[in-house]
Amino acid sequence: MADFGSNMAALLPEIILVISGLVLLLVGAFAGKKAVPAINLTIVGILLLVAVLVLLRIPDAALSLFDGALRLDALAVFGKFAALLASALGLWLAYGYLKTDKRLTTEFGVLILFAALGMMIMVSATDLLALYVGIEMQSLALYVLAASNRDSLRSSESGLKYFVLGALSSGLLLYGASLIYGFSGSLRFEGIAAAIANDASVGLVVGIVFLLSGLAFKISAAPFHMWTPDVYEGAPTPVTAFFSVAPKIAAVILIARILFDPFLQMLADWQQVVIAISVLSMVVGYLGAIMQRNIKRMMAYSSIANMGYALIAIASGTAGGLSGLLIYMVLYAITTLGIFACILAMRRAEGMVEQMDDLAGLSRSQPALAIGLTILLFSVAGIPPIAGFFGKYFIFLAAMQANLLWLAIFGAVASVIGAFVYIRVVKIIWFDEPPQQDFVPVSRVQAILVASSATLMLPAAIWFLPALYEWSEIVALSLFAGG
Amino acid sequence: MEIGLAHYLAVAAILFTIGVFGIFVNRKNVVVILMSVELILLSVNINLVAFSAHLGDLAGQIFALFVLTVAAAEAAVGLAILVVYFRNRGDISVDHINLMKG
Amino acid sequence: MMYLAIVFLPLLAAAVAGLLPRLTGHLGAQIITTGILAVSAVLSLYAFYDVAYLGHEKTVEIARWFSIGAFEANWSLRIDTLTAVMLVVVTFVSCLVHIYSWGYMAEDPHKSRFFAYLSLFTFAMLMLVTADNFMQIFFGWEGVGLSSYLLIGFWYKKSTANAAAIKAFITNRVGDFGFALGIMAVFVIFGSLSFDTVFAEVDGKSGQMFQFLGMQIAAIELVAFLLFIGAMGKSAQFFLHVWLPDAMEGPTPVSALIHAATMVTAGVFLVVRCGPIFDAAPFTSGFITIIGATTAFFAATIGLVQNDIKRVVAYSTCSQLGYMFFAAGLGMYNAAMFHLFTHAFFKALLFLGAGSVIVGMHHEQDMRKMGGLWKKMPLTWAFMLIGTLALTGFGIPGTYFGLSGFFSKDVIIEGAYMAGDAGRNFGYLAFWVGVIAALMTSFYSWRVIFMTFHGKPRGDEHTFAHAKESPLSMMVPLTLLAAGALFAGVLFKSDFVGSNSSEFWRGSTVAETHESALKDDHAVAKSSNDHEPKPSDHEKKQKSGGEHHVPTWVLWSPFVAMALGFVFSWWLYIRRAGLADKWAEQSKFLHPFLYNKWYFDELYDVLFVNNVKRFGDWFWKLGDQRIIDGFGPNGFAAVTAAMARKATRLQTGFVYHYAFLMLIGLVAFVSWVVLRGVGGQ
Repeated sequence: MADFGSNMAALLPEIILVISGLVLLLVGAFAGKKAVPAINLTIVGILLLVAVLVLLRIPDAALSLFDGALRLDALAVFGKFAALLASALGLWLAYGYLKTDKRLTTEFGVLILFAALGMMIMVSATDLLALYVGIEMQSLALYVLAASNRDSLRSSESGLKYFVLGALSSGLLLYGASLIYGFSGSLRFEGIAAAIANDASVGLVVGIVFLLSGLAFKISAAPFHMWTPDVYEGAPTPVTAFFSVAPKIAAVILIARILFDPFLQMLADWQQVVIAISVLSMVVGYLGAIMQRNIKRMMAYSSIANMGYALIAIASGTAGGLSGLLIYMVLYAITTLGIFACILAMRRAEGMVEQMDDLAGLSRSQPALAIGLTILLFSVAGIPPIAGFFGKYFIFLAAMQANLLWLAIFGAVASVIGAFVYIRVVKIIWFDEPPQQDFVPVSRVQAILVASSATLMLPAAIWFLPALYEWSEIVALSLFAGG
Repeated sequence: MEIGLAHYLAVAAILFTIGVFGIFVNRKNVVVILMSVELILLSVNINLVAFSAHLGDLAGQIFALFVLTVAAAEAAVGLAILVVYFRNRGDISVDHINLMKG
Repeated sequence: MMYLAIVFLPLLAAAVAGLLPRLTGHLGAQIITTGILAVSAVLSLYAFYDVAYLGHEKTVEIARWFSIGAFEANWSLRIDTLTAVMLVVVTFVSCLVHIYSWGYMAEDPHKSRFFAYLSLFTFAMLMLVTADNFMQIFFGWEGVGLSSYLLIGFWYKKSTANAAAIKAFITNRVGDFGFALGIMAVFVIFGSLSFDTVFAEVDGKSGQMFQFLGMQIAAIELVAFLLFIGAMGKSAQFFLHVWLPDAMEGPTPVSALIHAATMVTAGVFLVVRCGPIFDAAPFTSGFITIIGATTAFFAATIGLVQNDIKRVVAYSTCSQLGYMFFAAGLGMYNAAMFHLFTHAFFKALLFLGAGSVIVGMHHEQDMRKMGGLWKKMPLTWAFMLIGTLALTGFGIPGTYFGLSGFFSKDVIIEGAYMAGDAGRNFGYLAFWVGVIAALMTSFYSWRVIFMTFHGKPRGDEHTFAHAKESPLSMMVPLTLLAAGALFAGVLFKSDFVGSNSSEFWRGSTVAETHESALKDDHAVAKSSNDHEPKPSDHEKKQKSGGEHHVPTWVLWSPFVAMALGFVFSWWLYIRRAGLADKWAEQSKFLHPFLYNKWYFDELYDVLFVNNVKRFGDWFWKLGDQRIIDGFGPNGFAAVTAAMARKATRLQTGFVYHYAFLMLIGLVAFVSWVVLRGVGGQ
């Protein structure tokens, strides 16, 4: 048990974020419009800096902070780093985009900063209260971000929908939390685990199902996914890009931690539910994606299906599953960011275009972008030897080792339908007749993101996958050895 | 009849159900949805406080205070979004919020 | 190392020209492929000298191909005289055709692809002739089939070319099916696919029978027969000949290389290479003789009346291949190889000459629209004349004066007579067919010359006025081939079929045993071998005297046939020009019958093509579309699409629907786990 001072020291990254967020908000309020780009860039810098700081301050052994409310272990470091990096890149992407549209505001960056702070708390929470505060911190920022294009009906409608359903899901989560508290007598994960070891009552089971439902909403898993397509479509595109990456990583890690840490002994009870959610997500995600012509909507359904795969890994309930999950999430995050960078590049002189058919002839007008997007789509479709295939591979492997062979087979079959969805886009890019007007040139940020993400997906980046695998192994073992 | 834990839980469950129904039965006004959300959060608070008293553990009551705080923030954010929406749409009828679908 | 270079350099050339056309450009592709082929050809000449005259045969092991139980195949090059002869023919003609194509294909937009295909073909053909086992020969066999298909259909925008390519491919499949069965039979019977092992065991297996559907078939006969089916397909023998004339849709250099000089002789090569097997199969050998003789006769009759200059030459090729086969069928493997060798030169010469005419006439191939061209294209005329003289076998019997075809063809015809004399099945038949076919050969060959180069111009005046001699790049190969056509016979006669032959072949062909048996004279080797020694060379017979003397009338008969053909042709097309057309018009039966190629295409249409099409149609529409697609991909896709529409319809856009669905999910999960918990406890 650490004293207050060392607790605060361990939370230095979070504290930096809080203070800089508040300060920048004040600066933004007084400095006027000219300082807005600088503030946003500063926030990108701060996020990257804090990400590095998190890596530099990896504790030798897992630290339990504030009497077990938070925990700083390898999984938390992994999650914080990934979430911060994804937030920084998302803001960087948004920065260029919003600047062109003259819609950049101080609040935008600060909101992303606070969302990142929420995610950092989420991934390290080992207490229901901390968990709730983290989730709400992130969610409230996200609601506003979705509606951040204040003059757009679509944007505000998506914000409203997200808020209403998000509040409902928070209610479910809280209700579950209250049940767990009541039946275990503790808000701490340790206490819950002890209570479960003593007697796993039905109340706890109901509680975890409520809690899972609330969390499933955050990662947009079926049947709690309904907000996703509408919000993805309506929100400003860089916000959608941010939505589909950073919060997903944080929420998935949160689910993994709560299910694998205190509730692992009740695996038999929640496994069925997770499997059901996973199967539903894959089916709904890919089936829904088939009918879409709007590429943002298609990406929404795609992320639903991808969360289905992530849940396969969680359903396995093993260290292998956790390591597969982390690999999958990292690959998913990289690919998704790259694809959204491409989507953001779909800009004509008269403004953004979002229909898939507008990609026609991209191979001729911007061949480099077309190649990058093709690699990324192949990756997310899971076609070997692109890295996305290995993401799915490790997950299926974990499922098979957990005697969930049929789930792995189901996932493989579903990915066939998924392949249709993605390869149709590839077909449009390479084979359809281009429209009259060309896209405006790609910005530098987009080019860098597309190029680096596509390169990481290629087998040429041989160091990447093994390194990722090694790291995920270490992280997975840290949770299982400690828990 | 002594009022026990079960009664509190029953009241909370009923409130929760009313709140949830309020969200999807109501088709007129978004403000009603905000109220339903508050109702859900309050039912959770009753749960937490009841459990806290039953267990003799203060953590539940502290949690309830946090929930109240967050609920206030949530209401603020929700109303702000609603205002933005109203500016654009000129109408806050739930029936009309379906620009995006499919 | 040298042999590896000979074989694999063309593959390298094909890869560079075919895969990196942007890098090389058309000119680069041409220079690379032609240069590499020239290197290969020079090395082959040296290899020929080294192997055939210095006796350095060897087998070059490259790598293990595969090994499945006892089923082994290696990549290795078997270099003996037979291979060396083929190496020279293939690389030399291929190199000349590459050069020739510079001129012929000058205006084609896809030159690099063309040269890549040519080099690829050369590689496959070289793999075929250097094979030391049946698997490798099959690899080469299919490789040449593929490149032949690609080259016939090179002008893929021409529907006739596509049809011809498909026809060639399918007809060859029939033959290849037999060939593949033959290879399997070899493996079943001998337990190995290596030539050395198989040939060494042929004698031991000659009595073995093979059970098939209750029938007893001699194993060796079966193997030989199946292998010959393969040879029939590739060499366009009777029944499977239909693809060769159509293959003329390809560019003329292709016709010269593949459909005259090299690929079509692969069948002959196969029979000669597998001589030990065929030698032990008298029934199949008889069959080969009959098929060969029939083809020689039948193709010649069709050649008499065709008007397309390339088709005449194509039927002539068919006919000459018939000669080679009946020679091989009668055991005269060396003579067959000799004819193959000389034929490569003069037939390539004729084809390339015809190509020169076609270019000069702006891609006009109909001889009825030519005439009088010799003034415009004197060099081409001279070369065609040499080719024709070589093909018709011009020369004075009994002397060393004659063109290449004279030596090789007369050896075959006389050999056939001697075989008949010695009691070999169908020997006399082959002899008479050979003589008659020689007459017809002479007639149609001269007809080509007369119709094309002599008489009055019958075609478009404008075209005729602009007709001119072809460029140098086309004339150089013609010159070299003409030299070959003139002198290949007289130079190599003693080596291939004469007194020198046993030192020359050194056991790479079977005939050597007969030859040596002949030298030691009659009695010695006879009892050890079931077959009569085959006299394949009348000169030697004359020296050794005795019963093998060839009668003088037999010696002169091909000459007389040739002369008669010439006179007849001259009379019909020069002296009484127009008479031929009148006869053709009056003829109710014979001319249409010949002109329509004995109605073989129509017969096959009725017998096979239409039925197969109907059958395929049935499978396609019912089996594939309804059943497999219906329940498989299409059904799955339809179900998916329907479900996708339903899934999308759930997404109404109304918040309360979304909330309701979330709640339904929650309630379902909660009741599930609670019921499960209650049931479990």
